[in-house]
Amino acid sequence: MKLNSRLLSSRIVLLIVSLALGLVVMFAVTSRMFDGSLDTMKDTPDYTSVLLVNGLIAGSVVLFVLELRMDAVRVVLTVIVALLFGYLVTAIFNLDSAQRFTRGEFKVSLASDAAVPDVEDMDIQYGRARAGDFNNDDQPEPLEEDRYRFAGSEGDEITILAFAARANVEVDLQVALLDADGNELAKSTEVTQEQIDAYKPDLKSTKDAAITNYTLPADGLYTIHVKPEDLSQSQIIKEMLSKTRVAYEAFLLGPVDRVLRWSFWIQDALTLILLGLSIAIVFRAEQFSLGAEGQLYFGALVSGVIVLSFGDVPKTLLVPIALLSAGTAGFLWGLLPGALKAYLGANELVSTLMLNTIATRFYEMVLTFQLQPPDAGYTASDWFPSSGQLTPIVEGTQVTIAVYVVIAVVILTWLLIRRTPIGYEIRMIGANIKFADYGGINTKRTIMLAMAISGIVAGLAGAHLGMGIHRKLILNISIGLAFEGVVVALLARNNPLVVPFAGLLYAYLRTGARFMESDANVSFEVVRIIQSIIILLITAQALVTIFRRRRIRRRGTLDLDLEAGANGGLPPSLPAEEGAHV
Amino acid sequence: MFDDMLFQNVVDGIFSAAFLASMLRVTTPILLPSLGALISDRAGVINIGLEGTMLASAFTGVVFSAKATEWISPAISDPMLPWVGLLMGVLVGLLMALLLAFFHLQLKANLILSGIALNILGSSATVAIMYELTGDRGNTKGNLASFKMPFVQLPEFLADIPILSFFFKIFDNQSVMTWIAFFSVAFVWWFMYRTPVGTHLRAVGENPDAAASVGIRVQRIRYLALLMSGVFAGLGGIHMSMGYLAFFQKDMTSGRGFIALATPYLGGGNPIGTGFASLIFGFFDAISTRIGSLEIPSQLPQMVPFVATVMALVIYALQSQLTSRVRTLRSAEGEEFDVNFWGSIRRLSVLHMFLAMLAIIGIIIAVSMFSAPDGFKGAGENLSTGKVVSHGVAIALVSLALIVINLPFMLNVERIGHWRWWYSAGASVLSLWIYLSVFFILFLIAIDGQGVEMADTLIIVLGLALGLISGALIWLRLGGQYLTHNHHLAAVAAA
Repeated sequence: MKLNSRLLSSRIVLLIVSLALGLVVMFAVTSRMFDGSLDTMKDTPDYTSVLLVNGLIAGSVVLFVLELRMDAVRVVLTVIVALLFGYLVTAIFNLDSAQRFTRGEFKVSLASDAAVPDVEDMDIQYGRARAGDFNNDDQPEPLEEDRYRFAGSEGDEITILAFAARANVEVDLQVALLDADGNELAKSTEVTQEQIDAYKPDLKSTKDAAITNYTLPADGLYTIHVKPEDLSQSQIIKEMLSKTRVAYEAFLLGPVDRVLRWSFWIQDALTLILLGLSIAIVFRAEQFSLGAEGQLYFGALVSGVIVLSFGDVPKTLLVPIALLSAGTAGFLWGLLPGALKAYLGANELVSTLMLNTIATRFYEMVLTFQLQPPDAGYTASDWFPSSGQLTPIVEGTQVTIAVYVVIAVVILTWLLIRRTPIGYEIRMIGANIKFADYGGINTKRTIMLAMAISGIVAGLAGAHLGMGIHRKLILNISIGLAFEGVVVALLARNNPLVVPFAGLLYAYLRTGARFMESDANVSFEVVRIIQSIIILLITAQALVTIFRRRRIRRRGTLDLDLEAGANGGLPPSLPAEEGAHV
Repeated sequence: MFDDMLFQNVVDGIFSAAFLASMLRVTTPILLPSLGALISDRAGVINIGLEGTMLASAFTGVVFSAKATEWISPAISDPMLPWVGLLMGVLVGLLMALLLAFFHLQLKANLILSGIALNILGSSATVAIMYELTGDRGNTKGNLASFKMPFVQLPEFLADIPILSFFFKIFDNQSVMTWIAFFSVAFVWWFMYRTPVGTHLRAVGENPDAAASVGIRVQRIRYLALLMSGVFAGLGGIHMSMGYLAFFQKDMTSGRGFIALATPYLGGGNPIGTGFASLIFGFFDAISTRIGSLEIPSQLPQMVPFVATVMALVIYALQSQLTSRVRTLRSAEGEEFDVNFWGSIRRLSVLHMFLAMLAIIGIIIAVSMFSAPDGFKGAGENLSTGKVVSHGVAIALVSLALIVINLPFMLNVERIGHWRWWYSAGASVLSLWIYLSVFFILFLIAIDGQGVEMADTLIIVLGLALGLISGALIWLRLGGQYLTHNHHLAAVAAA
């Protein structure tokens, strides 16, 4: 009785915490999207749908916390560690960002009211200017510094300006005046605001240099020595950090900047959720099948062909038919490696990877030789007829009714794994295949079916890519999306109810990386480096053991209730999982 | 019968020294990681991350061969630069393997998933760093002046000796990496079967607990195995970017690291077999470029190595099913079990599976011919549709016949003992005969060189005869004779 009430109270606390977190996330996303103003929100078309989707995001957060409990902390920590690592990588890539102060086109002008002395072969003379380009890598021998000789007379009042040639050149110049023996007479590294005002439009920023109203001490030859200022260590680090900050701001806040960017996030998340579910099903059965990629291609191809050939059929009929056939195509393409694995014992990892390539090539072939319109400039099919496109629920974006399909698939997958005999068999096999076999489960059939059923979901993801996002078939419709699905499934600990959150989280990172690339010129691949770190950290069981051992030592006992979800293994072993729900 | 130019060209191409040389060349980047996969697999810790490791090494090699004078020392002379690249590339391969080993062996991360992570890391980090270094996301062509590994020239006088000259043409001017690859086969064999460490490695893979109980340090052996696989994958990657090309391209290994996971299975888990399995893949790879010169969808020949890999997996799976079946029988029947009998069946089953593999490739080629967009056009001569169809139909029919003959064998491989001896003899010899006679006929046409008007019939009869003789010989050599005389000794037959 006492135990029960403790259990109950901890559940309630968890529920409240998760609801609060969900609301915070929903509020943060919405207010960021609409700049925190209600009027902007009401001016946006279909803002109710946007709110609805944001509500679903909140729901996914609630499920994430409720299902994973303490394990949720570990997932979040892993992502944070991986993000920190990504920050380091980005910073290293930006090490050279201060270099822009040492390169670029510049001009040097020499001015004086005095008469020009009559000396031949001078580099520069009063009233003239010279131009150059520092450290341009395109030139065979980049210019690092430059010297100009000129002739002057005693008492000439001269003004030397060294400045960037155009407003967008950021070169930081220094200029010095040398006499004939090479002694430095005057030097300038920066200019004051007054000088900028006085010598418009030549001087543009304080990075330029100027020696103004200098009176020459004697007749003779003088040299102007101009070069970029040496970079100080602190300047390099400051520049690096500020550039990295800009990049990471685009990375972490970019996807919720405005509705259009938000829609990229959501549509990517829908695909990833489907793929994550597909991978979660096979991982549940301890089958390391990566066939989702090939199944996705077949799903996209079959749904695309159906939509293109039966454009006249009304939408209410065509869309379900196309989705169903995409699922069937995925099912069949999953049945093949499933049968190979179950009945012949062929390594499912290698076979699915090979079948993926075969499917991709087949897709390319059909697309290039059958579907591509003859006059097309690039390899893609015709646009899908409007009856074959998923209806957008937010105007002007590709956030479509696929949202509802995904919700349905999440629930169905959960029911399949938790509430059906086949799901039970899948979990048993994943927990201990020998035990399952002795217990009378037809393990071969179940393994085959698990791989085939996961194919259905992956096929749907393909249909979503074709009918929802691109609205036609294109080459490279998915580049390694199955691997992204692996990350999603891992983050979700193969729990279908957590997959939506994991998919949203990972899609957020992916979309953010795209904006980081466009806004801050940092390669998109950084997010894939982060992805590999996430996989490594989240599968490293010993890390969990270390934490758990410390906690046990601190408390003296192992709190079974809170630990139930946190067995850290992959996939979670059955008894612990059951314990969480009993 | 075979008087059209195109077919002549393809046939000439396939039976030329140049084709065999190119086959060796494309085998190298499969063979090297295959050896890595073999070693790690035999130690029970298969390295899934070969693909990513290859990419990382390929990229490092290119970068360091181009930048060594700038980064390390300007004194490095040009001939040394590729070797510096090789060294750094292999070092990075080692580091990648070390990462995997640390996470799997120390932190107990799942081996397969960490391998996947390694692949993602290799493919993404190379592109990201390439983008930072050169501003290009696709390749380093034109941005990094990297070097090729040297080519090995054989002594010239060999070219004048009649038969050796053919082999001279194959082996002359091959990259040093190709030589390294084939010597590695010998090295790995020596390592695995002639050194104590190699024996320990196999013991660990067979049964880690048993190995630990006799004092073998399992953890250490597995570290070693993973590191060695990293080195071989690194060498393979270097060959990709510095062997015949001199640039790095995004994801340039295009699945070779994954194919390499399948070759040890096909090769029966030993280095020599793995070498031959890699040659088979090299053959399909080379032939796919050869077929690619005909105007057919390039995707079809590109599928061939992958279909072959799936088939190889099936072969291996059937083989191991057979082995486990034999083990059960051995324990059930006691001393009456006949090892030689089962050995014969096993070898024959591999033969049948291999023929089925060839047959499926044949069907793919036939389909390719049919789906050619502008007819079957190539080598400067337009062929009539009739000829395309006749060739395609011929290939497809031969292939289908092979499959039909071999199907019962493949499906019931563990029940061969039940069959009458003449069925297995018939199936083996017949299918070998079909393939070998086609092979010999094409070969005779190729060496005749001048079209075939004068001796069509003679060549075909000769080819058929040679095929029949060699088919029968191979069958006998594989244990067919033993099977026919001793099948009553078999445990299954007795039961």
